[in-house]
Amino acid sequence: METTELLEILNGIFRKVLKRDDITLTEGTTAHDVNGWDSLTNMILISEIENKFGIRFSFREIVKLKNVGDLCHTIKNKIK
Amino acid sequence: MKIKNDTDILAAIVQASNCYATRPAMVLDDQTYSYQDLFGLAGSICETLSNIKEDIIGITAENRMETYASILAVLLSGKTYVMLHPDYPTERNHQIAKQSGIGLLLYCGENGNIVPADISTRCVSLLSHRPSPYSIIIPYDIDPDVPAYIIFTSGSTGEPKGVPISRKNLNAFYKAYRTLGWELDENDRMLQMFELTFDVSVVSFLYPLTLGACVYTVPQKGMKYLNVLDVMERHRLTFAAIAPSVLRLSHPYFREISFPDLRYLIVTAEATDVNLLEEFRSCIPNAIVINLYGPTEATIYCTSYVIPPEGAKHHNGMAAIGKPFQGMDYMIVSPSGKQLPAGETGELWIAGPQLMRGYWGAPEKTAECFVTDPSGKLYYRTGDLCQADTDGDIIYCGRKDSQVKIQGFRIELGEIEYHVKAFYKHSCNAVVLPVYTTDGSCELHLAIEKEIEDTENLEQYMQSHLPSYMLPKRIHFIPCFPQNNSNKIDRYRLLKYITQ
Repeated sequence: METTELLEILNGIFRKVLKRDDITLTEGTTAHDVNGWDSLTNMILISEIENKFGIRFSFREIVKLKNVGDLCHTIKNKIK
Repeated sequence: MKIKNDTDILAAIVQASNCYATRPAMVLDDQTYSYQDLFGLAGSICETLSNIKEDIIGITAENRMETYASILAVLLSGKTYVMLHPDYPTERNHQIAKQSGIGLLLYCGENGNIVPADISTRCVSLLSHRPSPYSIIIPYDIDPDVPAYIIFTSGSTGEPKGVPISRKNLNAFYKAYRTLGWELDENDRMLQMFELTFDVSVVSFLYPLTLGACVYTVPQKGMKYLNVLDVMERHRLTFAAIAPSVLRLSHPYFREISFPDLRYLIVTAEATDVNLLEEFRSCIPNAIVINLYGPTEATIYCTSYVIPPEGAKHHNGMAAIGKPFQGMDYMIVSPSGKQLPAGETGELWIAGPQLMRGYWGAPEKTAECFVTDPSGKLYYRTGDLCQADTDGDIIYCGRKDSQVKIQGFRIELGEIEYHVKAFYKHSCNAVVLPVYTTDGSCELHLAIEKEIEDTENLEQYMQSHLPSYMLPKRIHFIPCFPQNNSNKIDRYRLLKYITQ
């Protein structure tokens, strides 16, 4: 899957969970850049992403995620 | 006059800083600072403070060594610190700065200068501060009645209340806290996860420094609960005081995380769910778990309960809070002010040397919260409903305002919450909120921290476990509950959300 396609899917998940239509993620986006992306919503976002792609992140993988680019990379590795 | 280290927290800290000068005092964002580094900078800030008349010093809460050095410097200078928070709304920082009358603000980062423009306070950036040659600073002649800090708690009216904690209060706390039986020394690695605007941060930061131990703070970037677990695991921490929300949020990873070095886990800040804790036990095979309870007004903590792995005392799943600290006293009191015997539920009143003397500049609020008994003893009304058992352990039963009357029945909201959580096998949180309609009657709304789903089974379950007057009128699914700055569920915002 191409990164652009992946980002589109993630945009949809983020918009739904954070209830905001104006979210457009890039690989460089961090939690700091998105209003409402905090410890609590992160848990929901992760579980939505896991369900969508039928994958599961480990604790260590989640801790290492620094931005959306890392997230895309990890998802791609898992659905290969 | 010689100051004894076992009764004066600052004297103990100064002594440890001399004893362990080259040992690590703090690890912040993976950078290590020695006692020499920390106290060298504190000494230099003390010099700045010695030239000014103002006694109330504001500090911007940042995860930086300079911020922690500022706290020490203010304490060692005999002044009082007040934390402002960059994440607070401007209005709140404004209210706090104005109410406390801060004369100077110490800050560090580029967003640290947060004193509103219409308050004439000098702001000093610490970025260019260089540590002074390391020197011993012993605070000799500090008036014990001068506040060490003023913490602002949210009042139910929306106006923050200033709680001044004197050096006498802080030392009474220290004296009691250190006799809880800790086996800790300079080799321990101890967590400080709390916002500096919340008083558990005071003990999480200061107590390790009395031992020569090392304090680990939590990076502000990213997700806090993940950072807490990450710091605990990577640095093999031996002592951690955490808010139960950390456990709730890390529940999906219990099978993957492990803290074999952890010897003490303190749960504090809100009620601990004993079922959730039980599941977490396998991650902390070598730790003693202690519930520490206390309102800010009684200096951080004033009761303790070692939660045993089996047979933990609880009420509706909320862990007991145990026995009062040495020197503190309590009563369980009926609504009419009568002392209640063991086994009966009433409001917890506490007395003793850890109690503040009154809210900052708010005598009418002070009068509402304090009661003097016939012998002249001053009690603080905690607003918490408790009962004592026959062993003398205090069992926490919920907030006073979480008790409502419907059709004449007195209902404890915690009981409904307990059954809902049990229905979901304790995998999610639930809060019941009373919503008052225009005719003054009360309806119960249930908020569940979960994605929306069908409620038929839940409703059947509640019907089979609760009397009809306790059944919620409406059920709301909210993927995540709002939290306040102290990592507690923000019931006020939750209520606004479900009623809008």
